[in-house]
Amino acid sequence: MIVCLAVVGHQNNPLYIQSFTEADDALKLHHMVHCSLDVIDERVDNPKKSGPTINETFLGLLCPTENYKVYGYLTNTKVKFILVTTDLDVRDADMRTFFRRFHAAYVDAVSNPFHVPGKKITSKTFAERVATIVKSFGLTTTG
Amino acid sequence: MGFRESHFPSGLEVHKRNSPCPTFTIHIEIALWETLSKGKQKVSLSAFAFLFSELVQYNQTQVDNIAELERRLEDAGYAVGARVLELLCHREKGNRRETRLLGILSFIHSTVWKVLFGKVADSLEKGTEHEDEYMNSEKELLVNRFISIPKDMGAFNCGAFVAGIVKGVLDNAGFPAVVTAHFVPVDGQQRPRTTILIKFVEEVLLREARLG
Repeated sequence: MIVCLAVVGHQNNPLYIQSFTEADDALKLHHMVHCSLDVIDERVDNPKKSGPTINETFLGLLCPTENYKVYGYLTNTKVKFILVTTDLDVRDADMRTFFRRFHAAYVDAVSNPFHVPGKKITSKTFAERVATIVKSFGLTTTG
Repeated sequence: MGFRESHFPSGLEVHKRNSPCPTFTIHIEIALWETLSKGKQKVSLSAFAFLFSELVQYNQTQVDNIAELERRLEDAGYAVGARVLELLCHREKGNRRETRLLGILSFIHSTVWKVLFGKVADSLEKGTEHEDEYMNSEKELLVNRFISIPKDMGAFNCGAFVAGIVKGVLDNAGFPAVVTAHFVPVDGQQRPRTTILIKFVEEVLLREARLG
């Protein structure tokens, strides 16, 4: 199950952060998101020189902890998507599909002429769409 | 070219009422609408030209000199560029981030131009005098097609709007640059062509050199 999703701007400023669980302390999840920003910086500054992984938007597993796994994604505009999940065996392909759909939702949200680039995403439509994507992700992996 | 109502986003009326500057909003929305809907959806040229002329005229009433007018047009374009980059990277680039200078320039020259104007730009050249200058030229820029500049307005060029789009794309992709639009006379042609001059800031070239 996905417990937390965050969109972080190019100056590491939060644009959208949402947790999808009642059980966990939201602060703890935010803390994990914050920590993984360093891991992203590290990955981007020391890119693997080889093969198909170069400059890919999907950054893969960032940091596994006891109960959670954190995945990252980086767009061309240096906006980061960070996902915290409690599923411990997730296939990379599923993650890629999820991030692609999430990216599409994000693009639609920022294409709104009333959205100010670099400011928080307040669109309700975006929040609803993200909730739907998150729900459908849970279905494909468990069922 | 036909004009069909369905080409416009349904929220157009609402925006018109709420926005302090109607022309500006609608214009950007149309430019984006074209890029958002996949396939062959297009806005008719006459509708676009009309809106663009309104955009210029509105801004003209708000300023007292040419430089300020160009800056306002550029700002309007900047917002479009920022969004166009995000959208096209998602749709056309197949989940790759563009980090090289030539890559992003050819992305503008072909992908962005194709989506906005339906064709690739006429030419993309490197400046001969300065290493950090690139020129994207267009014989007949879409926004300038129905525009003639009065003599007393000097070197004003409505291509400033397109320069703003290019600047928006470059800035947001991490290649800060100064972008300006100029008329360049062509031998044997009545109309000058428009050149979008891109001058990158120093750090971009240093980084490019380091990447090898």
